[in-house]
Amino acid sequence: MAAPSRTQVLALYRMLLKESNKFPSYNYRTYTLRRVRDAFRENRNVEDPKVLEQLLNKAQDNLAIIQRQVAIGKLYEVQRTVVESQPKKFF
Amino acid sequence: MASRVLVHCVRSVRLLQHSGGVLKSASRRSLSLVSFRQPSTWISPVSSPALQLCRQYCDSRPLTLQSIEERVMNVLNLYDKIKPETLESSSHFMKDLGLDSLDQVEIIMAMEDEFGFEIPDTEAEKLMTPAEVVQYIARKKDVNQ
Repeated sequence: MAAPSRTQVLALYRMLLKESNKFPSYNYRTYTLRRVRDAFRENRNVEDPKVLEQLLNKAQDNLAIIQRQVAIGKLYEVQRTVVESQPKKFF
Repeated sequence: MASRVLVHCVRSVRLLQHSGGVLKSASRRSLSLVSFRQPSTWISPVSSPALQLCRQYCDSRPLTLQSIEERVMNVLNLYDKIKPETLESSSHFMKDLGLDSLDQVEIIMAMEDEFGFEIPDTEAEKLMTPAEVVQYIARKKDVNQ
């Protein structure tokens, strides 16, 4: 498989952030957002195609995990914590 | 307080009706006083909480180029890696503001949140200055002035 392109990585990054944003629980949401950002920044200078592919596969797996956990989290929604703002209104 | 007054008046009206027609004018006066204060409660059985539940439909304010630019700049100012002093509408995210492509993705996502519509990947990667973002949003939202 060819080395993953720049747009592919960016698209994955975007997807990961979007999915993480859907967590109903404040703790999980902020943790995943922070973790995704840190992980991508940590590996920003990786050039080796093999390592890149490994990392990308790992990111794909994690994306699937996040999607699953968001779905589960929505089944067991808890009260919002005090630090969270009010739910967003539509316009 | 208002409900207490109301209950009191209802009682007094009933009492007056029992006692006869002599004091009817007095009862009418108190009645009119109540209805003046709380017309909805007296006239119809609709209670005030139900009224508050009524949803008021309205559209968002029409966008103008100026308001779009203001909101874009506001979002960018709030982004923690951009120094507000260095920000101008023509500054390039990567060359002038020293951001990387990951930051650019985050900025575009913030714009999506702010304006409530999705920007596809292919278009998002071309938006590199605040002015371009404003232009793109204006085109998508059909704003010309």
